[in-house]
Amino acid sequence: MGGYLEAIVRGIARSSLLTAADYNNLCQCESLDDIKMHLSATEYGPYLQNEPSPLHTTTIVEKCTLKLVDEYKHMLCQATEPLSTFLEYITYGHMIDNVVLIVTGTLHERDVHELLDKCHPLGMFDSIATLAVATNMRELYRLVLVDTPLAPYFSECITSEDLDDMNIEIMRNTLYKAYLEDFNRFCQTLGGATAEIMSDLLAFEADRRAVNITINSIGTELTRDDRRKLYSNFGLLYPYGHEELAICEDIEQVRGVMEKYPPYQSIFAKVSYGESQLLDNAFYVEEVKRLCLAFEQQFHYAVFFAYIRLREQEIRNLMWISECVAQNQKSRVHDSVVFIF
Amino acid sequence: MGTTAAAETEGRGEAVGEEDGAILQLLDSLDGYISLMGSLSSSLRQGWLELSSARHSMGNSRISSTLFDMKPHSSATTVDLTVSTGESPSHDADQAMQPHFSLLKWGSRGDEKSPSVEVDGKTPSQASSCSGRTSCGLLLLKTDDSDEGGISATIYPAVAADNQVRKKRSKALSMFGALVPPKLRVAQGSFETSLEAIIEIANTRSTILSALGRLQTVDLRS
Repeated sequence: MGGYLEAIVRGIARSSLLTAADYNNLCQCESLDDIKMHLSATEYGPYLQNEPSPLHTTTIVEKCTLKLVDEYKHMLCQATEPLSTFLEYITYGHMIDNVVLIVTGTLHERDVHELLDKCHPLGMFDSIATLAVATNMRELYRLVLVDTPLAPYFSECITSEDLDDMNIEIMRNTLYKAYLEDFNRFCQTLGGATAEIMSDLLAFEADRRAVNITINSIGTELTRDDRRKLYSNFGLLYPYGHEELAICEDIEQVRGVMEKYPPYQSIFAKVSYGESQLLDNAFYVEEVKRLCLAFEQQFHYAVFFAYIRLREQEIRNLMWISECVAQNQKSRVHDSVVFIF
Repeated sequence: MGTTAAAETEGRGEAVGEEDGAILQLLDSLDGYISLMGSLSSSLRQGWLELSSARHSMGNSRISSTLFDMKPHSSATTVDLTVSTGESPSHDADQAMQPHFSLLKWGSRGDEKSPSVEVDGKTPSQASSCSGRTSCGLLLLKTDDSDEGGISATIYPAVAADNQVRKKRSKALSMFGALVPPKLRVAQGSFETSLEAIIEIANTRSTILSALGRLQTVDLRS
C-alpha cells in the first residue's frame, strides 16, 4: 500500500512546508535577494543557492518547481501499482496545459524550443515537440497524442477544423473535463478512504472549473451550449447548477446560482459585490482547507494528491510574495497568500 | 519726446505682460506635467500588479511573453502626430511648429465607415493633406489652419463603436487564451489608461517646450 511513501509524505515532506512564521519573514523582505536568503534556510535553499543576482521572480518559481518535480519523481519511482497510476494521473493536468501551450505558441509563430522551456516539467512527454507540426486536432491526435495518456480524452475533440484561439480553448477545457471524469472513475475503483476523499477533492475541482469557465466566458463568443459542454459531469453543481450557470450573463448571476449551495455560500460571502477578483483567492483558501483535511485519515492515496497540490499552492504563494516585493507593493502581499496548515 | 517716452513705457509694459503670460503658461504646463507623471506611475503600478495577479491565478505558462503573437498584424491602436504650420498671432516659427499627439484607440486605419473613438485631435479624413505613414503606425499630417479651439473628442455611433472596441479588446487578449479571467481585462484597462496618460504627457511636454521658446523670444526682444 505504499507505507514508506505515505510516511515520507506525512512525516518529512509535510513538515517541510513553509509555516506562517516563514511567510511573515518573507513578506517583510525588501528585495528578491532577501527572499533567496530566507529560503536558503528551507528545503528550497539548495535549488536557489547557485542562482546569480539579480534574481527574477520567474527564476524563483522555476527552481521551487524543480524541487517539487524531484520529490514527485522520487515518489513515482518508489511506487507500485495502483499508486503509480494514481501518481501519474496527478500530472495529466499539466500535460494538457503543455499541449495547449505548444499548440498556441506554434499558432503565434513562436520557436518550439522557447515554448518547451516554458512547459511545466511534470507534464512533459517524449513526443511533445512534435506537436508543432499539427494544424488541426485530427493531426494533433494522429501524429502525437495517440501514444500519450491523453489519447482517450480526445474522442470528443477530434475535428478537422483549423486550430484557432477559441478552438484551442475549447480543446483545453474538453480535455480537462475528460481527464477529471476519468480520474474520478479511477479513484472510485480504488475504493475506501481514497475514493471518499478524492471524490470530494475532485468534485470541488470540477465545480471551481465550472465557475471559472462561466465567469471567463461572459461577454465572449462562447455560446451557452458550448459553455455547458465544458462543464464536468460530476460534482455538487451537476446537473442543475450547471444548467443555471450556463445561462449566466454576469458575475452577480453566478453568485446567485452558487449561493444556493451551502459549501459555496461561505466562499461567495467572503467576496463583496463588485469584488470578483477576490474570488480566486477564496477558492484557493477553501481548496487548501480540504487538502489539509485529507491528512486526517490514514492509509489512503489522497495524501499524495493533497501534498502535491499544497506544494503547488506554496509555490504560488512564493510567486505572489516575490512579485509584490519586486514591484514594491508589499501592502498587497496578503491579498493572495494562503497559509497552509 | 513725452510721446516717445510714453510709447516706450507702453511697449515695455506690453513686453512685461507677455513675459508674465509666457512664464505662467510654462509653470502651468510644468504643474500639469508633474501631475500626469504621477498618475502614469500610479496606473502602471496598478497594471503590473493586476497582471501579476492574473498570472498568479492562471499560471506562469499561460501569461508570459512566450505567447505573444509574432505573426504580422495591424496595430489596433495608433498615434497621430499633427504638426501645425499655420499662422499664429505671434508670427513665431517655433510656436507654429508645435507638434500635437492624438491617440486612436482600437480603431482601424483609413476606413471612414469603421467607427473609432478619438481621444483628441482630428480624424485622418479631416486633415487637409496626408504625408504618409511611418513603419511604426504613425500618420504625419499637415493642417492648414491652426485649430486651437482646445481639446475636443469626437464619438462616432456609440453602440457600433462599443461593440467594435469590445471585440478588439478581446482580440488583443486572445493570445493568452479565448477565456481569460477578469483580472487580465482589468490589467488591460490600467495599461490603456497609462497609454492615454503618455499621450497627454507628450502633448504637455510639447506645450512646455513651446512656452519655453516663447519665453526665450520675449527675453530676446526685451
